[in-house]
Amino acid sequence: MCSFSGSITVTANAPARTVPYVNLAAAHTKLKAELLEAVAAVIDSGQFILGPQVEAFERAFAAYTGASFAVGVASGLDALVLALRVLGIGPGDEVITAPNSFVGSASCIALAGAIPVFADVGDDYNLDPDAVVRAITPRTRAILPVHLTGRPAQMDRLMEIARDRSLFVIEDAAQAVGATLADKKVGTFGDIGAFSLHPLKTLNACGDGGVMTTNDRDLYERLIVLRNHGLKTRDDCVEFSGNSRLDTMQAAMLLVKLPHVDAWNSQRRALTLQYRRELNGLGEVVLPSERTGEYAVYHTFVILAQRRDDLRRHLHERGIGTQVHYPVPIHLSRAASELGYRVGDFPVTEDQASRIVSLPIYHGLSWQDIEYVCNAIKTFYQGDEA
Amino acid sequence: MTAGSNVNVPFSYLDRQFADVDSYLADVRELVLSGDFTLGKPVRDFEARFAAMCGMPYAIGVGSGTDALILSLEILGVGPGDEVITSPNTFIATVGAIAMTGAKPVFVDSNDGFTIDAEQIERAITPRTKAIVPVHYSGNVADMPRIRAIADRHGLFVVEDACQSIKGTRDGLPVGSWGETAAFSLHPLKNLNVWGDAGVIVTRSAELNDKLRLYRNHGLANRDEVLMFGHNSRLDSLQAVIGNRLIEQTDFITNRKIENAQRYDEAFGNLAPMVRIPKREPNVVHVYHLYMLRVERRDDLLRFLTARGVDAKVHYPVPVHLQPAAKSLGYAVGDFPVAEKDARTLITLPAHQHLTTEEVEYTVAAIRSFYGA
Repeated sequence: MCSFSGSITVTANAPARTVPYVNLAAAHTKLKAELLEAVAAVIDSGQFILGPQVEAFERAFAAYTGASFAVGVASGLDALVLALRVLGIGPGDEVITAPNSFVGSASCIALAGAIPVFADVGDDYNLDPDAVVRAITPRTRAILPVHLTGRPAQMDRLMEIARDRSLFVIEDAAQAVGATLADKKVGTFGDIGAFSLHPLKTLNACGDGGVMTTNDRDLYERLIVLRNHGLKTRDDCVEFSGNSRLDTMQAAMLLVKLPHVDAWNSQRRALTLQYRRELNGLGEVVLPSERTGEYAVYHTFVILAQRRDDLRRHLHERGIGTQVHYPVPIHLSRAASELGYRVGDFPVTEDQASRIVSLPIYHGLSWQDIEYVCNAIKTFYQGDEA
Repeated sequence: MTAGSNVNVPFSYLDRQFADVDSYLADVRELVLSGDFTLGKPVRDFEARFAAMCGMPYAIGVGSGTDALILSLEILGVGPGDEVITSPNTFIATVGAIAMTGAKPVFVDSNDGFTIDAEQIERAITPRTKAIVPVHYSGNVADMPRIRAIADRHGLFVVEDACQSIKGTRDGLPVGSWGETAAFSLHPLKNLNVWGDAGVIVTRSAELNDKLRLYRNHGLANRDEVLMFGHNSRLDSLQAVIGNRLIEQTDFITNRKIENAQRYDEAFGNLAPMVRIPKREPNVVHVYHLYMLRVERRDDLLRFLTARGVDAKVHYPVPVHLQPAAKSLGYAVGDFPVAEKDARTLITLPAHQHLTTEEVEYTVAAIRSFYGA
């Protein structure tokens, strides 16, 4: 192996190269000067809360997604909580979501006072529309599909289900900025789209941040008030609320980054093609599929792998970072114990949880890095490391 | 600046505070290149320093002062069906935080020092009362020994809203000493201010410290283990970097504000009844987040000062119980006479640490001339 670099000796103690799972520092080096300039402009203005940079980012993000309005908030989780609250969802209501997501997709429902109800996913890692239909009860108020891994959920079918039963749809697009279905961006199908701008996201702040999208002017106008203490003006509080503002400093830096998102997404897709070429024909792993008409942005590159935990150890010894998103499905976490779910309730999710592994995929990952990762995977299964 | 004035006395000082921006940017540059943006070393360092500054064992960095209140109340189990007592003469966030937990805000009138009137608290307690949120409003310190005693007598929690009173003390004890927790804000206009929203919770309870650390971060014990459905309310590393620099200035800022306040007190001491200085308690270190006076013809004075370049303000013209948001709580004009009268007569003067002696004296002279003194 290591044909790309014959001079490097591979031993267990000293990997030929290291491929960390993420490298946030590298991603910021190129834009450093521009980012610091944006920060300096905020400091010079002395306006650190809301203001022109936040408004400019909101306008630019709305234009990017094709939504009529965008509202900057403090985090992706807050975006989901505010979406539920502005739609009037609270105690006694049920909201259907996927159990294989980050916990935020369910905790937002609990924080709003409503009950998270899970429906199983399909082999696209996203809500199975048939399972959603089965989970609907008279108390269901909304469906909260997650575009997990950056792949759009089946929004056409989910929207139809919601329309037929007058349910709200809140898209958890935390991992999917720029993903499209039939050329329409995620976050614009449902009533509200919720995006995270967390440092590990493709469009990332240097700290926590989130943004919401909607086409409904009334919702937009209420959200602007709800994220800022319910204040319509400095002295007029129309509705008690919390404080969930996108920091001006973060908005200024996000304005520098937003124009690069499409390029970053296509770079990620190019990396997945490299993975596909290298791993093609390897029977022990299943690569993510793609339906026609969808543009997945691969926030994570998740494969199903036989002997997953052994494979991860093998890769780790070779300096390769991997992750599992997520090893314990939400319905089996301690946080969900009061909801009454059990092992076996969501067989697809539970089976995937034991086999999924996320391979490194990020801006700055090289062709050689991927070849190194794939060779290591092949040697694990084929045992011909020499 | 308006025509006719030759001095401008701004309320905000952020342009002066960050005039030397390069040293801050050097720290920011280091952070950006480290990529350590979530709950990393800068946050841990800041929490340790903040705890030490407050003389408390634990400090937990969160997303905002409002979140510090919400997380405190929720972790103590306050929620739907409960009542929480506070005063109506506060920034709306105190009450918003109570409402966000699902509990019902219940008001008790304020006193001469702009804090909750401890005398009246027991009358507001019902079987549903779960907690008291005294606000150390304007940088003063509420009557905590009495409030704590009342809370203990009735089995209530106390969460101190210390958002405006970093470094404030009573009887030599720092704010935060009496409550289960205390909530601080690091909002850009606070005495310890960062470059966006941020907050801190302090507590003496190891158990609450552990729980709050989980609760601010999705309930995650580690990356893969979710122990409770939690919030995402983390002090940004970027803000912690700034906070680590500014925390060293907190004593200077506090002392300068106190000096400015003392000068004002001295200058306006003989203007009663047109200008009335709130009672100053000798056993309290008031840190003057806001320097407020009760004045006659308040709105005229405000216009007069504004026209002369003095950026005076009103905190706040409408008490919380009379805000549209409070409609469903059922309060009416007349329910809280002190808070309501204050809303009509209070004025806040610029008192920040970057004011020059000349600016302070200019403000004094303007007010004296308004009242023909």
